[in-house]
Amino acid sequence: MSQTSRPRSRSGNLAAEKLTYAAMLTPALLLLAVFVFIPVALVIYGSLFDFGLTSRDWTFVGLGNYVEAFGDDVFWIALRNNLIIVIGSIVLQVGFGTLLAAVLDRGVRLGRTLMRTIIFAPMVISSVAVGLIWLIILDPNVGPLNAVVKGVGLTPPKLGWLGDPSISIWVVLGIAAWQYTGFMMVLILAGLQAVPKDIYQAAALDGATGLRAFWYITLPSIRNILIVAILITTVGGFKVFDLIFVTTGGGPANSTQVLGTYIYLQAFNIGEMGFANAISVVLLLIAVGLGWLQLKTSRKA
Amino acid sequence: MEQRRFKATSLVLYGFTGLWSLMVLIPIAYMIMAAFKTKRSMFIDPIGWPDALNWESFERAWGVGVGGFMINSVLVTFLSVVVIVIFSGMAAYALTRMPGRSGQIIYLLIVAGFAIPVQAVLVPVFQIMSGAGFLNSRLALVLPYAAYGIPFTVILFYAFFLDFPRELEEAARLDGCTRFQTFLRVILPLSGPAIASAAIFQSVFIWNEFILALLILTKPAFKTLPVGILELQGEFTSDWPAVMAGLTLATLPLLLIFVLAQKYFVRSLAGLGK
Repeated sequence: MSQTSRPRSRSGNLAAEKLTYAAMLTPALLLLAVFVFIPVALVIYGSLFDFGLTSRDWTFVGLGNYVEAFGDDVFWIALRNNLIIVIGSIVLQVGFGTLLAAVLDRGVRLGRTLMRTIIFAPMVISSVAVGLIWLIILDPNVGPLNAVVKGVGLTPPKLGWLGDPSISIWVVLGIAAWQYTGFMMVLILAGLQAVPKDIYQAAALDGATGLRAFWYITLPSIRNILIVAILITTVGGFKVFDLIFVTTGGGPANSTQVLGTYIYLQAFNIGEMGFANAISVVLLLIAVGLGWLQLKTSRKA
Repeated sequence: MEQRRFKATSLVLYGFTGLWSLMVLIPIAYMIMAAFKTKRSMFIDPIGWPDALNWESFERAWGVGVGGFMINSVLVTFLSVVVIVIFSGMAAYALTRMPGRSGQIIYLLIVAGFAIPVQAVLVPVFQIMSGAGFLNSRLALVLPYAAYGIPFTVILFYAFFLDFPRELEEAARLDGCTRFQTFLRVILPLSGPAIASAAIFQSVFIWNEFILALLILTKPAFKTLPVGILELQGEFTSDWPAVMAGLTLATLPLLLIFVLAQKYFVRSLAGLGK
């Protein structure tokens, strides 16, 4: 970043230059301060108080909200559900995304762009629309899925796909995979296309083709992109909100509650803003930790 | 023998990608098909084809205000993306050209902002917006959208500006351009690909943004599509064809744009992996 070859370096010019830089940075930094950094400070501060949506008086409770959260079953259910979605999404979205990308990269030729376009398409649909479409497909009364399941002689779940607390979180996981696997596929495909093709030819001479080539050449050469894909999926799994809010609202009986929906419920339906802030801080710590990991891996790459 | 094995393998590979494509396509196709069914046929025969092309559900959905939601979404998305691109461009340029270490320190601060999800600061962001009297204001919603779009865009532009050939800039400086003029007249016009990439990426996210819109826009007249289409569900409790018609109206335009410009979408969103 050396700028020594400047012909004019009068001090007035330099001061003006500094002012220009400051002016160019101000709008972005101001927005970040007001809507990102100050809220971070406020969420930590507010987690030490008891207060409602419209209440003017805040009661200091110290770490009381945290004690309450760690003793709250629903908080642990929410955290567990986030983990189910994170791990399930890594398996489904990154796993199938990698397989689809590998096949589209070298396995098939005809209709490659068409299939890539179709599989990626749900990414541009809002999660709300995706949730509503699946709500109808899975509906116990008018849903086509039940009609198909009954048509082949099986019995659909009695309480409905999303109404049965023992399976609902897994159904939501499936819907998320429907929406995001294409995104992972495209991400990984971009990495695969950067792998020089003559490596495969050289490996073929040594007898490594097909599955063996996938295992020994494809996977190691996209190692970094796979790590990024896993991190993006992990962050996404902790941030999940829209899809669950629309399909189940966290129910039935909190069985699909995640941190995001639980924060929303506590803050804006029940009005326990301080308690919601304490859960938010937990989510914040997880997100910042993952962000730090992401930074470290991208530095290495 | 080799030949046959080769055929079997490619059959499996085509089968796998083909089936996945079909699995993605069927729900979207079903959404469009169900929009043309009647309430009755939806109930009696959920998987049957519609008897005729009934446009009534589209009229009912339109009556809820899908057109208005669309205008709101276009307005909010367009303004947010313009603000994000301009503010991030200026900031990233200043950061890459500032002498000393301060540029790198501020850059790291902005990268840290990228890690913070809005879900984790929901309560204070709501307090700030409502305290400022910004509830039910589409214009004000642009501000947090811009704030959450800036970090990633700065990261993208920062990398781009670092690699930018300095000779062009020096030439402009020798002609008497100030830093800002150089940015406006030399850097921006040559940053087309980076700007397009950032704009597409942010458009997709803001067009679909839900949680902030849910908190800030409570009056139907101001709602964007993601919160607006939830109205459909409330309005038509058992009128699934109308809900599907509304969803079709809400999702098809962006899907069509995507299919036509998929090369650019894919390039833009795949950039997240870098």
